[in-house]
Amino acid sequence: MTVPGPDLFPFAALAFGALAVFSLGAFLRGLPGWALSLVTLAALAAAAAPLTLPLPWPLLPAQVSGLSLAEGTTRFYMVLICSLTAGAVLFMQPYARDRGFEGDEIYALMLLATLGMLVLVAARDWMYFFLGLEMFSLPLYVLIGSRLDGRSIEAAVKYLIMGAVASSFLLFGIALIYAGSGTTDMVAGLAGAGLRSPVPLGVGLVLAGLGFKASLAPFHLWTPDVYEGAPAPVTAFLSTASKVAAFAALLRIFLLGGEALWPLLEPLVWGLAALTMVAGNLGALTQRSLKRILAFSSVSHMGYLLMALLAVPAVGPGPVLFYSAVYGLMDLGAFGGLALISPARRDLDDMESLDGLGRERPWGAGLLAVGLLALAGMPPTAGFMGKLVLFEAALSAGYVWLAVLGMAMAVLSIYYYLRPLTHLYMRPPAGTRARPSPTLAGAVAVGLVLAGLLAVGVMPGPLLDAARALAVP
Amino acid sequence: MNAQTHLLSVVLFLPLAGACAALLLRERPGASRAAGMVTAVAELAVTAALPLAAGPGPLRLVEDAAWITRFHARYTLVLDGLSWVLLLMSGLLFLLAVLVSRREAGARPGLFIACLLAIQSSAAGVFLARDLLLFYLFWEVQLIPMFLLIGAFGHEDSRRAAVKFFLFGIAGGLCMLLAVIGLYLLHGQATGAYTLALDGLRGTPVGSGTGLLLFAAFVLAFGVKLPVVPLHTWLPDAHTQAPAAGSLILAGVLLKTGAYGLLRWAVPLFPTAASAAMPVLLALGLAGLFYASCIAFAQTDAKRLVAYSSIGHMGLVVLALAVWNRISLSGAALQMVNHALSTGALFVMLGMLSERAGTREMSRLGGAWKRMPVFSGFFLLFAMASAGLPGLNNFVSELLVVVGAFKAAPWAGGLAFCAMVLTLAYVLRLVRRTLFGQAPPGSGEWADVDAREVLVLVLLAVPVIGLGLFPGPVLDLLRGPVAELAAQGMMP
Repeated sequence: MTVPGPDLFPFAALAFGALAVFSLGAFLRGLPGWALSLVTLAALAAAAAPLTLPLPWPLLPAQVSGLSLAEGTTRFYMVLICSLTAGAVLFMQPYARDRGFEGDEIYALMLLATLGMLVLVAARDWMYFFLGLEMFSLPLYVLIGSRLDGRSIEAAVKYLIMGAVASSFLLFGIALIYAGSGTTDMVAGLAGAGLRSPVPLGVGLVLAGLGFKASLAPFHLWTPDVYEGAPAPVTAFLSTASKVAAFAALLRIFLLGGEALWPLLEPLVWGLAALTMVAGNLGALTQRSLKRILAFSSVSHMGYLLMALLAVPAVGPGPVLFYSAVYGLMDLGAFGGLALISPARRDLDDMESLDGLGRERPWGAGLLAVGLLALAGMPPTAGFMGKLVLFEAALSAGYVWLAVLGMAMAVLSIYYYLRPLTHLYMRPPAGTRARPSPTLAGAVAVGLVLAGLLAVGVMPGPLLDAARALAVP
Repeated sequence: MNAQTHLLSVVLFLPLAGACAALLLRERPGASRAAGMVTAVAELAVTAALPLAAGPGPLRLVEDAAWITRFHARYTLVLDGLSWVLLLMSGLLFLLAVLVSRREAGARPGLFIACLLAIQSSAAGVFLARDLLLFYLFWEVQLIPMFLLIGAFGHEDSRRAAVKFFLFGIAGGLCMLLAVIGLYLLHGQATGAYTLALDGLRGTPVGSGTGLLLFAAFVLAFGVKLPVVPLHTWLPDAHTQAPAAGSLILAGVLLKTGAYGLLRWAVPLFPTAASAAMPVLLALGLAGLFYASCIAFAQTDAKRLVAYSSIGHMGLVVLALAVWNRISLSGAALQMVNHALSTGALFVMLGMLSERAGTREMSRLGGAWKRMPVFSGFFLLFAMASAGLPGLNNFVSELLVVVGAFKAAPWAGGLAFCAMVLTLAYVLRLVRRTLFGQAPPGSGEWADVDAREVLVLVLLAVPVIGLGLFPGPVLDLLRGPVAELAAQGMMP
C-alpha cells in the first residue's frame, strides 16, 4: 500500500521565509522593521493556507516517510502554531522597534522556531521528532537573550541548560524505545511494542523531556525565571507556540500508544495533572511579579490540559485541541498586553508599576485585563468556554475527583488574577510616564486577540466544531 | 400565548451597547453621562412597553435560537410576570443609579457608567434566560463590572472589599458550574437526550445523594449572593465600601438575582432534594433574620447597619422559599421588589448624608431633622417602610411570607414575626441617631436635598407608597408564574 506523501509546502514556506528575511536584512540594510515583519507574516500565512483551505492537489508532494499531515489533529496544531506565532510577531514589532533590537534575525529565528514546531507536530519518526524539538529550541535560546541585557541573557542561559537536560532525557528515551522496538518509526514502535521492556521506560523519559518543554510539574521550575527575564513578546511566543507544540507532541504519543500504553500512562498522567495544577496555582499565589504570576498560571493551565488528555480515550482529542487553542489565545493576550504597556527601559514586573495604567493605556491594559480574566475562566471570554469544555470532558470520562480538585484550584487562582486588575484599574497612576507612540502592528494585534477572546467566549461553536471534526482520526 | 419576538434581545443588549458607548466616550465626561442617562431611560421605556408586544392573556414572551450545538445549549429567553416585575424594578434602580452617581463617578464617569450598564445587561440576562448555560454565563459575568465598580469607585478600603466580593461569588459560582455540567451529563446519560433547557432538565432522575449534592452546589452559589447567613460576610464590607449607586445596585439587583436563582432554578430543578433540605433552609432563613437583626443593632456605621438589615430581609425570602407554597412565594417575589426599593432608598439617602457629613459613623451624624427637613421626611418614610409599617410596601410582602409560613410551619411563622419586631428596634435606632438628637459640634451647615436628589427620592417614594396601598396589580402579575413554580417545587 502506498501512503500518499505529505505536502511539504508548509515547511518549505517557513524555511524559505526565514531565508528571505535573512537575505533582505543582509542585502537591503535600510529596510524598515515593519517590512521584515510583513514578510514573516506572509510566510506564516503561506504555511497555514494549504492546511486550512481545501486544495485538491498537494503543492509539494514528497515521499517522506517520517512526516505526516494526514491526521486532523496534526493540521489543527500546525495552523494553531502558525497563528500564535503571527500574533507574537505582531506584538514583537513595536516592542523591538522601541527598544532598538529590531532586525532580520528575530523574525527569521521566529520562523525557524515555528518550522521546528511544525516538524515536531508532524513527526512520525523519532528522528524527526528529536530534530523538530531541537530546531525549535535553538532559535529560542537566541530570542530569549535578544535584548542583550543581563536579565535576558541570564534567562537564555537558564533555558539553554534546562533545554540540554530535556534533550538528554528525550534522546535517552528514544534510544530505549528503539532498543525495545527495533525501529525509529513512531507508529510501529509505539503501537506494536506494547509493554515490551524497555519501551515503557523510554516513553516515560520522552514524557519527562516533553514535560520540561511544556513545563509540567515537577519539571516546571525554570518557567518563572525564564519568563521573567525574556522580553515580553518572546515570552508570549515561548508560553504559547512552544508549549502548544510540546503538548501536541505529547498528545501524538498518547494517540499512537493507544490501548497498549494506556494502563501504564493513566495513573502517571493523573498524578502529573493533579501535581501540575496544584504546583502552578500555589506557586502563583505567593509571587509578587506579574510575569512570574503569569508563568505559574501557564503551568497550572498545562495541568488543566493534562486533565483533558486523560479524557481522550472517552471523548476523543477534541477538548484537548479546543483548550490548546484557547490557552494559546489567552496567554498571547496577557503577555502581549504586558508587552504593549511596558516601558522601554524594562518590562513591567512588580505590581506597583501597573498602577493606573488602565486609564493611561486603555487598549494595552484592556487586553492584559481581558487576558487575565480569560485565564481566570470568566465569561464572556474564551477562558470560560475552555473551562466548560475541559470539565465536561473530565466529568464525562469519570474523573470526578480530579475535576473537583481542578475547580478548587480555579477558585484559588482567582485571587492572583484579580491582584493585577486592582492595580490596573483601582489605583491612581504612579507619576507620569512616557507614552510610546501607537503602532499599526500593536493595534492589529490588540484587535485580533481581543476579538478572538471574546468571540470564542460568546460563540464557541465554530472552533468547537472544527476541533471536533479534526479530532476524528 | 408564545409570541416570538426580538424585543427581549433588545432589553438584554441595549444596556451593553450603552456601556460600550460610554466607554468610547470616556474622554468626554458629559457625553458619557448623557449616554448612560439615555440608555437607562430607553431601557426602562422598552421594558415597560413589553406587555404591549405580548398581546392579551397572561404575560409571556419567548425568544429562542440555536447557540452552541455541541452542548445543546440554546439562546432561550422567556418573559413572564415574575421576570417582568423584576426587570421593571431593576430598570428603575439603574436609572436612579445613573442619576445619583454624579459626584462619585469622579474623573472616570465613562468607566462608572459602563460598569453600571454592564451589570444591568447581565441582570436582565439572569432574569430572562431559560437555558442553564446561558443563565450561568450571565450569572457569572456580573461579578466583573461589580468588582470594578466597588474597587475603583468605592471608599477607603474598597479594593479589599471588591476582591472579597469576587472571591465569594466565584467560589459559589464554580461549584455551581460543576453541578451544571454534572446535571447535563446525568440527564443525557439517563434519558439519551442531552439538553440544557430548564423545562427539559426538570425531573432529571438523579439518585437522592447526587441530587442533594447538586442542589447544595446550586444553593451555595445562590446563597452567597442572597446572602444566606454563614456565607454573608462579604456583604457588609462590599456595601460599606461601595459608592452609593453601587450599594443601590448591590442591594436592589444583585441580591435579587440570588433569590431569583433559588426560586426559578435550584428548587424546580431538584424538588426532591429541596423538600429533603427544607428544614435546613428554614433554619438558615430564620438564623439570618435573627442574627442579622442582632448584629445590625450593634453597628455604629449607618451603612453597615442597613447592610445587615438587608441580610435580615433576605432571610425572610429564604424562609418563604423553604416553605414553598403559593402565598409564601408571592410574598417572596414581592419582598424582592420591596426590599430593593426601601433598602435601596436608604442606601441612596445615606450616600447623600455622608457626602455632606463626610462620615458614616452614626455618632457623628444626628440633628438632621431641623437642618434638612425634606431629607428627613423621606428618610423617615423609607425607614418605616423598611421596618414594615402597614400602608407601606414591605408590610404587604412580609405579611404574605409570615402567613405562608404559618400555613406550613406555624412555629416558623411565629419566630419570623418576632424577628420583625427586632427589625423595628434597629430601624428606630437608626432614625433616632441620624435624624434626631443634637447635631454634633462643629459639623457645619448641611444643605437640604437639591432638585436632582428630590427627583430620585420621589421616584423611589411613589412605588414604596403605591405598592403598600395597592399591591393588587403586581400580585395579579405574579399569580400565574408563582402558581406554576409552586407546582414545580412540590414533591412529585
